Amino acid sequence: MKSFVAAVAFAVVAAFGVAMVLNSYQEASWAAFTTSGARVGDPGTNLTGPT
Amino acid sequence: MPGSFSTFKLAGFKALLAAFALLLVFAQPAAAQLSFKPTAEAVHEDKLLNALKEGDKITGRISIPDKNAANLIQPAGRDWRDFHRGKLPWIGGIAILGMLALLAVFLMVRGRIRLHKGFSGRTILRFAGFERFIHWLTASCFIILALSGLNVSFGRTLILPLFGADAFAAMSHYAKLAHNYLAFPFMLGLVIMFLIWIKDNIPGKVDVEWIKQGGGILANGKHPPARRFNAGQKGIFWIVIVGGALMSVSGWFLIFPYLLGSVTELQVWTIVHAVIAMLFIAAMLAHIYIGSVGMEGAFDAMGTGEVDVNWAKEHHSLWAEEQQKKAGAPSDRTPHAVPAE
Repeated sequence: MKSFVAAVAFAVVAAFGVAMVLNSYQEASWAAFTTSGARVGDPGTNLTGPT
Repeated sequence: MPGSFSTFKLAGFKALLAAFALLLVFAQPAAAQLSFKPTAEAVHEDKLLNALKEGDKITGRISIPDKNAANLIQPAGRDWRDFHRGKLPWIGGIAILGMLALLAVFLMVRGRIRLHKGFSGRTILRFAGFERFIHWLTASCFIILALSGLNVSFGRTLILPLFGADAFAAMSHYAKLAHNYLAFPFMLGLVIMFLIWIKDNIPGKVDVEWIKQGGGILANGKHPPARRFNAGQKGIFWIVIVGGALMSVSGWFLIFPYLLGSVTELQVWTIVHAVIAMLFIAAMLAHIYIGSVGMEGAFDAMGTGEVDVNWAKEHHSLWAEEQQKKAGAPSDRTPHAVPAE
């Protein structure tokens, strides 16, 4: 029983940890695809909805 | 007035000419009337697609770095859509429901596999705490991954009508997050499981004999010898490792799709992920069955880590002997006096 509870707890903690790491890399598309040549800015609530 | 009379005559002549021309038109047979045949010579869709495509896509011209933005039509996408909406649900349904039916029939016909000599009350350690931790880490992640994955394939058809759109959407949102994030501890468990158990899961001659006797699972009273893991368990081990590896690789490409070249590769990996998942789930149902309902005394191995000595001797006789020798206990097969301490 102890090993089962420990395993489930570890899985949940690991999943949250992974979520934090992945979300730190994730960017909104307007930020990810902005380059010096492409004038892509924060669209705000225009067209794509609230960011 | 002379001008008006000639104008009148000219107008009348023109009218007569028009009527005559009209008569000519209507007098012709229908086929000869037209100079082209729109249906015969019109471009057919497949000709258009074959003429325009470079490789497997019909592309335009773009000036941005993302080459995939040039893709206008991907004809293979229709085949992919037909497969994952048509054949895949059948594959999944037959595999999973078929396995459930098979297990139900097996339980009805064979019944629960009982210990012939009954429980002795003495136990022997089968799985250490860390082994059980790794098993339950992988297994609990697998359950959530399987259910959330099945929701992706079947949820809209089976769950949505039961709970309504809002509840289904909320559930699916969290199921998707759980699926994406629990995949990582699952992969970790898989790697560690491979490392700690590979040495006991190499197939051998004992396994050939075990398979020849059907594992003793059908015939009551027959117990072919087995080491720590019998051939059935080794089969499950390799299904988990190979299936899990395929799920991990395909899943990696699905969660990081920019790693692939284009949508065609993504479609292939989606098919791999879905088909392997269905078969994997079916195999795990059999594993869960035999480890719980199917055989008495089996669950203790992963529950407490300790199994009854009679259980070990019946189902893993060679392993039980090895363990008893290690512990210094007298072997049942070659009894000899144990020196006094």
